[in-house]
Amino acid sequence: MLIAFENPLNENALAFPILECFHILGFAITVGTIALVDFRLLGFGMMRQNAGALAKSFAPWTLFGLVLVLLSGPMLFSSDPDMYYLNLSFQIKMVLLVAALIFHYSIRRKLLLGRLSANWNKPVACISLVLWVGMIFGGIFIAFIVTPGQ
Amino acid sequence: MSLLEIAQWIQNTDWATYIRMSGYVYPAILSTHLTGIALFGGAILITDLRLLGIVLRDQPVSDVVGQLRVPKIIGLLIVATCGILLASSKAEEYYYNAFFRAKLSLLAFVFVHALIFRSGVYHNTAALDQARRMPGKAKLAAALSLILWISIACVGRGIGYIEPPLDKLHASIAGATAGSPR
Repeated sequence: MLIAFENPLNENALAFPILECFHILGFAITVGTIALVDFRLLGFGMMRQNAGALAKSFAPWTLFGLVLVLLSGPMLFSSDPDMYYLNLSFQIKMVLLVAALIFHYSIRRKLLLGRLSANWNKPVACISLVLWVGMIFGGIFIAFIVTPGQ
Repeated sequence: MSLLEIAQWIQNTDWATYIRMSGYVYPAILSTHLTGIALFGGAILITDLRLLGIVLRDQPVSDVVGQLRVPKIIGLLIVATCGILLASSKAEEYYYNAFFRAKLSLLAFVFVHALIFRSGVYHNTAALDQARRMPGKAKLAAALSLILWISIACVGRGIGYIEPPLDKLHASIAGATAGSPR
């Protein structure tokens, strides 16, 4: 038996836009702090600090943004799960999210802890930037492409 | 030429029409706008958190603020360029949009903020390095900057939620013109 119940988020017109604001602020904090470290790895921006030290100082903020995003995201998703689930842009975004998180806390972390050769600085920074920026594009395009069956 | 007519003229230029009608150019610019927000926001956040003494406390203020200036400007250029393109493509609709008006007003406050704090705080970091404690003025500048930019981001999101009843508005404008003495 299917039990139908209304998602309380869909009963308040302001719930979705307010969640979106948290989502935007969250990704701006996360991607912004990550980008500053990636730029440092690329030889641009905060060059007088060590990349590992920068990453360490920013880590709580990167995580704070990530918490905002990962709390607001699933709530946004719950407002219309079928649409999101079938939306190609959303699917790509989720793949990028998983890839970005794994990359961030494995290879990139290793590099910033000095356990990888500095030859990896630029490739790692580029991959990191592409993954996170790709996710922003994936998020925006959800609303601009046709979802099958919708 | 009234402000509304200027907005209509901008919206009806070839390039603004192209952006508005395009399937994927509009969202691509919007995505770039948000990428710029992340970059600009990150640089602003770290600058202001350093002034508040929350992040990179062991690094000189001049070092942090100075080195973030270029990333901040690049981020701002991306955000502003894309923002102007997006706004132009729907200039007439946004003329009626309360959130758009609120956003422009808040951006005016950014200008005021710069007038008040730029020379004394953001361009006075060598003195802040020497200060034993961070002056209240610098902390105030940082807090206001964060509040202002967070508000701008949220109000910006609101713009997309207003669908102006353009048919009615156009009809009333046309009606007013038609009703004028012949």
